[in-house]
Amino acid sequence: MPDPRWRKVLRDVWLHKSRTSLVVVAISVGIVGAGSVLNTWSLLRAVTRAEFDSSNPASAVIRTDSIDESLLAQVRSIESVALAEARRTIAGSVLTSSGWKTAVLMSTGDFRSSRIGTIKHESGDWPPSANSIVIESSSVDFSGATVGGRFTVQVGDGEPRELRVTGIARDVGLAPGWMEHVVYAFVTPGTLAALGAPPTLNSMRIVVADRNLSRDQIRRVAAEISAVIESSGRRVHDIDVPVPGRHIHAAQMDSLLFTQGAFGALALLLSAFLVVNLVTAMLAGQLREIGIMKTLGARPGQIAGMYLVLALGLGLVASVIAIPAALVIGRLYAQFSAELLNFDISGASIPAWVLMTQLAVGLILPVLASAIPVVRGSRIPVSEALRDFGIAGNGGSAGALLRRAPGISRPVILSLRNAFRKRQRMILTLTTLATGGAVYLGAINLRASVVASVDTLFGTQRFDMAVRLASPHDADSILQIARTVGGVGNAEVWAGAQAVPEDASGVMGSTFGITAPPGGTTMLSVPVVRGRWIRAGDTNALVVNKRLVEDQPGIDVGRTVMLTIAGRQSSWEIVGVVDAGPAPAAYAAREALAHQTGALGATTAIVESVLDGPASQLDLVQRVRTAMTDAGLEVQSTQLMVEQRRVVEDHLLMVAGFLGIMGQLMIVVGGLGLASTMSLSVLERTREIGVMRAIGARHRTIFSIVQVEGLVVALLSWLIAIPLSIPMSFILGKAFGRIMFTVPVTYLPNPTGAMSWLAVVVGVSIAACAWPAWRAMRVPTAAALAYE
Amino acid sequence: MVNGFAPCRVNCTGVPIVSAMTNPLIALTGVTRTYDIAGKAFTALDDVSLTIDKGEFAVIVGQSGSGKSTLLGLLSGIDRPTRGEVRIGETLINTLSEREMSPWRGRTIGIVFQFFQLLPTLTAAENVMLPMDFCRMWPAAERRDRAVSLLDKLGVSDQADKLPLTMSGGQQQRVAVARALANDPAVILADEPTGNLDSATAGAMLDMLASLSGDGRTVIMVTHDREARRSASRTITLTDGRVASEERANA
Repeated sequence: MPDPRWRKVLRDVWLHKSRTSLVVVAISVGIVGAGSVLNTWSLLRAVTRAEFDSSNPASAVIRTDSIDESLLAQVRSIESVALAEARRTIAGSVLTSSGWKTAVLMSTGDFRSSRIGTIKHESGDWPPSANSIVIESSSVDFSGATVGGRFTVQVGDGEPRELRVTGIARDVGLAPGWMEHVVYAFVTPGTLAALGAPPTLNSMRIVVADRNLSRDQIRRVAAEISAVIESSGRRVHDIDVPVPGRHIHAAQMDSLLFTQGAFGALALLLSAFLVVNLVTAMLAGQLREIGIMKTLGARPGQIAGMYLVLALGLGLVASVIAIPAALVIGRLYAQFSAELLNFDISGASIPAWVLMTQLAVGLILPVLASAIPVVRGSRIPVSEALRDFGIAGNGGSAGALLRRAPGISRPVILSLRNAFRKRQRMILTLTTLATGGAVYLGAINLRASVVASVDTLFGTQRFDMAVRLASPHDADSILQIARTVGGVGNAEVWAGAQAVPEDASGVMGSTFGITAPPGGTTMLSVPVVRGRWIRAGDTNALVVNKRLVEDQPGIDVGRTVMLTIAGRQSSWEIVGVVDAGPAPAAYAAREALAHQTGALGATTAIVESVLDGPASQLDLVQRVRTAMTDAGLEVQSTQLMVEQRRVVEDHLLMVAGFLGIMGQLMIVVGGLGLASTMSLSVLERTREIGVMRAIGARHRTIFSIVQVEGLVVALLSWLIAIPLSIPMSFILGKAFGRIMFTVPVTYLPNPTGAMSWLAVVVGVSIAACAWPAWRAMRVPTAAALAYE
Repeated sequence: MVNGFAPCRVNCTGVPIVSAMTNPLIALTGVTRTYDIAGKAFTALDDVSLTIDKGEFAVIVGQSGSGKSTLLGLLSGIDRPTRGEVRIGETLINTLSEREMSPWRGRTIGIVFQFFQLLPTLTAAENVMLPMDFCRMWPAAERRDRAVSLLDKLGVSDQADKLPLTMSGGQQQRVAVARALANDPAVILADEPTGNLDSATAGAMLDMLASLSGDGRTVIMVTHDREARRSASRTITLTDGRVASEERANA
C-alpha cells in the first residue's frame, strides 16, 4: 500500500477529473501533432531507403539515337560503368473515361532482366505482352485503369489502337502520374511499332561502378559515355544526372516534413503552455493543503515530488492515448506522402526509437512544463499558503478603466474584468490562440501568394494552347495553317530545343529546355530579374531562369556558356535572368536558335483562342491538330494551358494545404487552452457565482458572463494574431520557397482572411466556453457558497 | 495518556530537535511583528517577551486583532518576527530556513487548527499517518498501527477508514489532535480548537488537551472561549499586540 501522500495524489486526480482530463488532452494533442510528423518522416525514410535504393536507380540517363547491343557492350566496357541498359520513352495519348490524357509509354527489350530502376510488379501480369499495356501504379486512379480493361492509345498521328490493360506495376523512380497528370505505362517494342512509333530504344540508363561518386563525378562518367556514343556516329540529345541516391521529390518532401515538424514542435510547446496553466491553477487550488502538509513536516522537495510524479503519471496516460493515435495518423499521412513520392509504405514499420522518443517526450514534457509552478508552489511560505485566500486580482489597470467605463452593463464589466484577473494564464492562453491565428492567416497569405505566383507564371503566357509537331517545319507555313482555323485569335510559331551545358573542363551539366519564340514575341512576357529579355535580331543571346542559375554554377548574366544542342556545340551569351517556373529553363529568340544550330524550322504552334470555356478550347485544339495533319504535318502532342495550370496548381496548393493543416492543429490547441482557462476560471469563482446567484443573477446572466469572458480573450487573440501573422507569413513563405520555389510573400493579412479568422476564433471561443458556462449555470447556490 | 511510543528522533536536516529540553522550554524575547497593509505599517505584536515552561498548558486570550494568532504563527514557525527572537528548546526558530523549518516543525510541534484542516481526500488514519510519512518517523509498516492506536486513544478509531467529510466536527477535531500527536511532538499548538464545536464536545476537547500537558507536553492554545481558562495552568491576555496580563491557575 503506498504512503498516504501518494494516496492523496491518486485521489486528487480522481477528484479533479475534468481538470486532469484537460491536462491529458493538452499533452496528447501536442504528442499527436509532433509524433505524427515524426512517424511519417521515419516511415518515409525507411521506405525510400528500402525501395528506392533497392530499385537500383539510374546514375545517369542519356538520350540518343537508336541504341543497339554493340553500343551497350561498348559502354559496359567502360571501367567506371557497372550497368548499362536501353529503353524507349515516348509521349502519346490515352483515351480514358474523362477524355484524352497525356501518356508516357516506356518500352525495353526485356523488362524481366532489367536491373536498373527495377519495376515492381503489383497486380495482373508482368511484363507487358504484345498488344497489351501495363499501367504504372501512380497513374491507376488518375486514368481509371483496371486490370482486364481496355484503353485506346495513340502515338503522334499514328492510328489509335485499343490495348488491353494486363497489369499494374510501380516505378519508384517516376514522379507520380496523378500529380504530373500523365498516364505512365509500359509496352513492348512491338506494341510501340504497332502504334506507329519507332521501336528502337533511345534512352541509355547507366549505373556507375562506384556508388560513392558525387553528381559532378557522375557527370564526368556521362560525358565519357557521350563521347563513346558520338564516336559511333550517333547524336547525344540530352543527359540527365539526378542527385545520387535522392528521389526527385525527396528534397521537397524533406523540407515539407521539416516545416511541419517545426509546427508539430510548436504545437507541443503550446500544449506545454496549457500544462503550465493547468498545473498553476491546480496548485493554486491546493495551496491550503500544501500549507497544511508543510505544518505536518513536509519539506518543499517532498511537496514538489508529489506534484511532479503526478505530472509524470499524466504524461504516461497522455502517451498511452497519443502514441497509438500518432501512429495511425503518421501512417495515414506517410501513405499519402508516399504517393507523392510514388512509394508504397505497406510493410514498412516505424522504428522503435521513434516511439521511444515520443514516450520520453510525453513523460518529460509535463514534468518540465510543471516544474516552475510546482517548485514555486512547493516553496511558498506556510503563512502565505494558509492565509485565507479569496478571489485574487482585480483586473489591474484594465479593471480600473472598466470600472469607469460608461454605458457597459455590470455583468459585461464583470466578464471583462474577469478576463484580466489571472494575467499569466491570460498571457499563455492569448499566446496559444494568437499563434494559431497567425499560422491560419499566414497559411491564407501563402495560398494567396501561391495563386498569385501561378497567375504571374501563366500571365506571362498569353496563349491558350500549344500544338507540338513531331519534326521541325517552316515557321511561316505553320503560322499560315494555324490562322486559317476558325476561333484562332493571335498565333505564333516557336522553336525549342534541349540543351546540355558544358563547363570549361568539358564536363556536361544537366539538360534544360530552351523555348524559342520569335524575337518580338507578344505571347510571352516573363518578368526580368536581371539583364534584359530576348529581342528580334539577337544572334546568340540566351535568357535563363533563376532556377537554372541556382542549379548550374557559372551561369549568370554577362557569362558565355557552351551548349550542346542537337549534337552541335554553340556558344551563347547570357543576357538576362527571369523569374519563371520551378524547373531549369532558358529562352532565346527563334532566329538566334536557328543561327546557332543551323536548324531553321519550328516545332510548336502557339495559339490564343477567341473562344472561352474548356469545351470550346478542347474543340479548337482538335481542329488545329486536324488542320496541321491535313497539311501533312505530323502532330506529336497538344497542350491546353488550362490543363497545364491545373497540374502546377495541384503541386503548389497541396504543399500550401499541408502547411495550413498545421494552422488547424494550432486552432485545436488554442481552443483547448481557452476551454481549460475558462474551466479553471469557473472553478475558482464557484463561490462568486454562488453569491451572484444568491443576489438574483439568472441562469442566462451567469452563462453569458462566462461566454463574454471567453469572447474577450478570443477578440484580443484575434487582434494580436493580425500583426503576428506578418512574421508568420514570412516564415511560411520562406518554408514554401525551400520546398517548391520562391513566391512573392504576401505579408499583410487580407481582409477576408482576417474576417474568416475572426469567425473561426469566435466559433472556437463559443464552443470552448460552452461546457464551462453550462457548468457555471448548473452550480447549486448552496454548494457554491460552501465551496472552498 | 497518549504517549508511550518510542519515537525515532533522527533529524535529517541537522537542526536540533527538542530532545534536551531546557527550562523554560519556550522563550520569546522582544518579539515584534509588523505587517504592511495597503502601504501602512500595522503592528500585530509589539515587543513581546514571554517564557513558557515544559508541561505547561498555556491559554492565550484576547480580543480580535489583539495578536493571538500572530503569536501562535510565530511559535509554530509559520510566521517570522520582524524583530526579536523565538527560541524553542535550543532552536532559534526565526533563523531556520523554510527547508529546515518543515521537518523541525513536523517533529517538534503538533498543530490543531480551528477548522480541523484534515486533507479531504485522505481517511482519518491516513491523515494521522501523513506527518510520520513526511518526517520518516516510525517504520512504514508500523505507521498505520500507530495511527489507529492514537485514534483509539482519542475515541475515534471507528472512524479510521472514513473520509473527513463523513465525520462530525467533534470527530474531525479528535482526528486532528491525533494527527498533531503523530510524531510525538514536545509542543502542541492549538488555534481556537473549540471554536467550531458544540459546548459538550468543546469541553471534552479541553480535557483532552489538559491531559496532554499532564503527560509532560507543552500545550499552548489560542481561544476566545472563557471556559477554556479553567483547564489551563496559565492564561496570557494580549491587548493591542502586548501582553496585558498573565495569570497562573495555582497563583
